[in-house]
Order: sequence, then C-alpha cells, then structure tokens
Amino acid sequence: MQLVGSIFILLGAFFLFSAGLGLLRMPDTFTRIQAGTKASTLGNILVLVGIGFYHPDWALKLLVVGYFVLMTNPLSSHALSRAAHARHVPMAPPTMVDALRDEDEARAREQASR
Amino acid sequence: MSAPATAKAGGMAVLWLLLFVLWLILNSSLAVPILATGAIVSFAIAWIFARRSPVWQLSVTPRTAWHFLAYTGRFFIELVKANLNMLRYVYAPRIDIHPGIVKVHVRLKTPVGRLALANSIALTPGSLVMDLRDDAMFIHWLNVETTDPERATDLMVRPFERHLEAVFG
Repeated sequence: MQLVGSIFILLGAFFLFSAGLGLLRMPDTFTRIQAGTKASTLGNILVLVGIGFYHPDWALKLLVVGYFVLMTNPLSSHALSRAAHARHVPMAPPTMVDALRDEDEARAREQASR
Repeated sequence: MSAPATAKAGGMAVLWLLLFVLWLILNSSLAVPILATGAIVSFAIAWIFARRSPVWQLSVTPRTAWHFLAYTGRFFIELVKANLNMLRYVYAPRIDIHPGIVKVHVRLKTPVGRLALANSIALTPGSLVMDLRDDAMFIHWLNVETTDPERATDLMVRPFERHLEAVFG
C-alpha cells in the first residue's frame, strides 16, 4: 500500500520537475505558461493520489483538493496569458500566427476609420 | 431568461447534492445535527442560486449524466496525453515547436458550459485559451497544425463540445 503510494508520489514529483524544466527551457511567456500548467496539474493530482494511499481516510478530502486544482489551474494560466498578450509581450521567433492580434488590429482600424 | 421549470429544479438538485456532499466530506461525520445543518444550509443556498442565476439552470436526465461521464473520461485521457506530449517537448535536445494563436468557433451558449470547455482546452495537448469574444475563442497552440478556424475547431473543440453540449446546452 505504502509502496504504491510512494510510486505515485514519485511519478507526480517527476511531472512537477518536468514542469519546472519546461519553464526554464521554453522560448517565450506563452509556451512557458503552457508547460507550467499541464505538467503541474497532472503532477499535483498524482501526488494527491499517492497521499491517498498513505492515508485512505483522507481520500474524499483529497478528491476535493484535486477538483480545486483542476478548476483553478487553467483559470490562472488563462488570466496570465491574457494579461501578457494584452501588454504585447513578445512571442518567440518560430511563432507562426497570431489571430488575436490580427483581430485587435482590425478592430482598431475600424474604429479609426469611423 | 425564462428557463423551463424542470431545468430550474434539475439545476437546483445538482447544486444541492454537490454542496451537501462537499459539506459531508469536509465534516467527515455522520452525526444527525451535522447532517441536518448541512442539508438545510445547502438547500437554502441551492434554492437561492438556482432561482436567481441562469448558471445553475440545467436539466438532468440519464442522457446528460451519461454525457457528463463520457466527458470526464475523455478529459482524463486528454490530460495524460497532454502531459506525455509536454514531456516530449521538454526533454527534446532542441525544442522544435511552432506556436501561434488561432481562432476557433464555440457553439456552447451557457456560461458553465463555456467555462468547462475553456478549462478542458487549457489542459489538453498544447493548447491554452487566450480570449473569448462572442462565439470566437482564441487559443494559443504550441504546435500549429492549421490556421483555418474550421479545422482547428474540429481538432480541439469538437471532442469536448459534443458531450458538453448535451449537458449544458
């Protein structure tokens, strides 16, 4: 039982480590946010599952924590990336398209021509 | 917004159950006074919210329950896939990605449905929701496969929307 829990926690720690490494290695703000959000969500959940094996009586509370992480992690990443985009944080060179900027510029032109 | 009475009752039942279960978990006790307090307080909250906010007006049928389960399963599969995908990028000797922001179309109308969709997209392979304007959603994509809104919608939004549409409308 404890062994299974330890394996889950180790796996979770590995994903969390990858999230950190992703933050360092990715080229710009947006890709970094992506790396941070995904790996840390699964990492967190795996650690929670692992704790659940150590303390089976906490299982339901851990489930609530897990749902909370699932709900709030994407929200915060969304807010961060939206703010970064609104402040014109530069995107890395291989970036191909920016439909949002195009839309903003089209709207600004429309207002200027009025 | 005048929703049918069944939708109001269904949404209220869901909210009541949700709050009550949360209360039980946090208390981890089955003593009668605690049960009674929880039932009454969560009923009052559910009643107020279901009446006053359109967010909680859902109709609950076996069909929507099944679609919700299917959505949950799909979600976890995509979450694991997203992570493996991310690991591949992170540990690659040279990070070879072509990120970009693409536009997709959303058919969901209700706020909860859109919230669920946006959160799901944020946790699926290489995509992150940037902004939502009317029926267009702007998604930051780690490796852009297509800039065509229709194709992008098919790739990222459809798998979830199919189930969420049945649940939230």
